[in-house]
Amino acid sequence: MAGNAMTMQQSFTIFPFDPPGDVAKLRAEVRAFLAQHEAKLGVPNCWVVGDPEFSRALGAAGFLGMILPKEVGGHERHPLERYVVIEELLAAGAPVGAHWIADRQTAPLILRYGSEEAKQRYLPGICRGEIYTCIGLSEPGAGSDLAAVRTSARQTAEGWRISGQKIWTSGAHLSHVMLALVRSEEGSERNAGLSQFLIPMDAPGLTIKPIIDMAGEHHFNEVFFDDVLLPEWAMVGTRGQGWVQATAELALERSGPERYLSSHVLMTALIDAAGPNPEPQIKARIGELTAELWTLRQMSLSTAAKLAAGEDPMVEASMVKDLGNSFEQALPQRVQALVDCPSTRDDDLARLMRALLIAAPSFSLRGGTREIIRGIIARGLGLR
Amino acid sequence: MSEQRALLCDTAEAVFAEAVVEGMAPIEAAGFDQLLVPEAEGGFGGDWGDLFAVLRIAGAKVPHLAVGERIVGGEISRPIGAFILVAQAAGAMDAALAMSIDYVNTRQQFGKALGKFQAVQQVLAIFAVEAAAVNVAGAAAAAALDKAGGDAEQALFEIAAAKLRTNKAIGQATSIAHQVHGAIGFTREYDLHKLTGPLLDWRSDHGNDAYWADLLGAMAADLGGVGLWHEVTRRG
Ligand SMILES: Cc1cc2nc3c(=O)[nH]c(=O)nc-3n(C[C@H](O)[C@H](O)[C@H](O)COP(=O)(O)OP(=O)(O)OC[C@H]3O[C@@H](n4cnc5c(N)ncnc54)[C@H](O)[C@@H]3O)c2cc1C
Repeated sequence: MAGNAMTMQQSFTIFPFDPPGDVAKLRAEVRAFLAQHEAKLGVPNCWVVGDPEFSRALGAAGFLGMILPKEVGGHERHPLERYVVIEELLAAGAPVGAHWIADRQTAPLILRYGSEEAKQRYLPGICRGEIYTCIGLSEPGAGSDLAAVRTSARQTAEGWRISGQKIWTSGAHLSHVMLALVRSEEGSERNAGLSQFLIPMDAPGLTIKPIIDMAGEHHFNEVFFDDVLLPEWAMVGTRGQGWVQATAELALERSGPERYLSSHVLMTALIDAAGPNPEPQIKARIGELTAELWTLRQMSLSTAAKLAAGEDPMVEASMVKDLGNSFEQALPQRVQALVDCPSTRDDDLARLMRALLIAAPSFSLRGGTREIIRGIIARGLGLR
Repeated sequence: MSEQRALLCDTAEAVFAEAVVEGMAPIEAAGFDQLLVPEAEGGFGGDWGDLFAVLRIAGAKVPHLAVGERIVGGEISRPIGAFILVAQAAGAMDAALAMSIDYVNTRQQFGKALGKFQAVQQVLAIFAVEAAAVNVAGAAAAAALDKAGGDAEQALFEIAAAKLRTNKAIGQATSIAHQVHGAIGFTREYDLHKLTGPLLDWRSDHGNDAYWADLLGAMAADLGGVGLWHEVTRRG
C-alpha cells in the first residue's frame, strides 16, 4: 500500500482551541453588547463596512486592543479570547469595518516592531476605537507580485521622503494612518531593500482619490505620495526588513474567521426564511451548508490556536482562506439557485443575496488571490 | 499528541503494515479490541481521539479491511459506523494525497516533473484542502464523542456534519487523485485504486449525502438561523 515505508503524513496540523477563562461568559458578554446595538446588525460582508460610533462603543466595552498591553490602553487578553469576540461580531454581521484592520494587524505590528513614539501615538486610540488604519501594499505594478513595489522612501536631513503610489487601499479615506511597504534602498530588487512606514493620512503631499467599486460604493482608493515628509519614528521595525515584517502582517491578515464568514448573515436569513419544516430540497441544502460551515469553523479554530501557540500557520491559514473564500463566495449563488428570488423581491433574504452576489467576486481577490493562496499550499506540499 | 497516542500510532503502523502482507489484521492479538475498554475493566482505556488516530492509519494502510467495526465491537450503529468511515477516510485521503504528490514529483513530461506545472500544483492544493477538511472534521467528531462519553446520539450533530463533509470531499479528492496519475492510476496493478475504491464505497456506506444532509438540515432548520450559530459555538 502507498506510504507503507513512511509514517503517516498529515495534511493539517490540529491544535486544540482552548482559550483561558470562562468562554461561555465572554460569549454572553459579546451577545449582550450586540443586543444593545441590534439595529446596526445583519450587515453583509460586514468587516468592510465602517461605523465609527459602533467602533467606539466596542472600544468602550473593552473589545478592541484585547491582546495589547494595558500601558497602551489594551486589555491583555488571550488571542483566542479575541477570536471568540470577533467571530461573534462577524456572525452577527456587525459593522466592524472602521477599526477592523487597525485591531487585526496594524496594532500588533506597531506593538511588535514600532517605535516608542508610534506606540504612544496610535495604540491607545486604536484601543478606544477612534484611530483607524489602512494597508499600503498593492501598487499599480505590484498586485499578486508584491515584491514589485516601487514606492520609495529616501532618507534626508529632515527625515524620510516618500514618493509613489498605492492602490486598492481599503478605507484610506476613513483612516488616520497607513502602514505601507516601500522601497527604502535605492536600486534594490524584489523583496530586498523594503521597509515599513506609518504614514499619517493628513500628511502634506498625500492625496487620496476614490475608486468606486462595482456595487457603486466608495470603499477602496488610490493614494499618491508626492515627497511626503516623515519623521524618523515613522519607520516600523528594521530598515530593509520590510518584507519579513509584511509577511508577519499577512499571517494576521489571512488567518482569521472573516475569511469564511463574510456571507454568514445570508445563511442565517436562509434558515429563518425556510422555517422549522422546510421542503426536502431546501432542508438538504441547509444540511450541506451546515456541514461546510461547521468544518470550516473547526479548521479556523485550529489555525487560530496554532498562531496563538507562537507557531507559523501559513499553510493552515491558506487552506482556511481558500476553502472559506470559496464557501462564502458560492453561498449567494447557491441561495439563488435554490430559492425563488426574482429581482423584484425585496425581503431580507433577497436583499442580502443580491448584495452578496455583487460583493462575492472580491472574496477570493482581497488578501491574496485564490491562485496565489493555492500556490502557497502547493509549496507546503513540497511541489514548488 | 499525547505520548500514549503516539505509542498507539507506532503500534498501529507496525500492525497494519504486517496486515498488508498477511491479508488480515490481527486486531485481537494486537489488543486493539481493548482500545475503548476502560482501564478499570482491564482494557486500554483509550478515548475516541485515540480511536480516530488508529483508524486513520488503518484507512491508509488496510482500507479493504473492516478494522473499525472489529475494534469497536458489538453491533455498530449508523452514527458510529459513519464516524469509523470518516476516520478511515481521513487516513486514506492523506495517503492518496501523498501518493499523488510522490507521483507528480517523479513522472516527467515535457522535460520536467509534472509537479512543476502550475495547473497540477493548483489541483493538488484543492485536494490537500479537502483532505484537511476531512481530517479536521473527523478529529472534531472524535472530540465530540469524547465529550459525550461515547454516546453517539449526543454527538450526532458533529458526526452528521463530519460524514457529510467527508462524502463531499471523497468525490473531489478521488477525481483529482486519478486525474494527476493519468492512465497508470487506472490499472489494476497500480495501488491507487486500493485507496480510491474503498473511499468511494465509504461515501455510500453508513449514510450517503442525502441521508446526512436531510438529518443535519432538519437539525439546523429546527434551531433557526441564529440558533444554529449558538448551537455550533456552544458545542465547541
Ligand atoms: C475589495 C478589495 C480590497 C482590497 N484592499 C486592499 C488594501 O486595503 N490594501 C492593499 O494593499 N491591497 C488591497 N487589495 C488588493 C489585493 O491585494 C489585490 O487585488 C491582489 O493582491 C491581486 O492583485 P491584482 O488585483 O493586481 O491582480 P493580479 O495580480 O494582476 O492578478 C490577476 C489574476 O491573475 C492571477 N495571477 C497573478 N499572478 C499569478 C501567478 N503567478 N500564477 C497564477 N495566477 C496568477 C491572479 O490570481 C488573478 O486571478 C484589495 C483588493 C480588493 C478586491
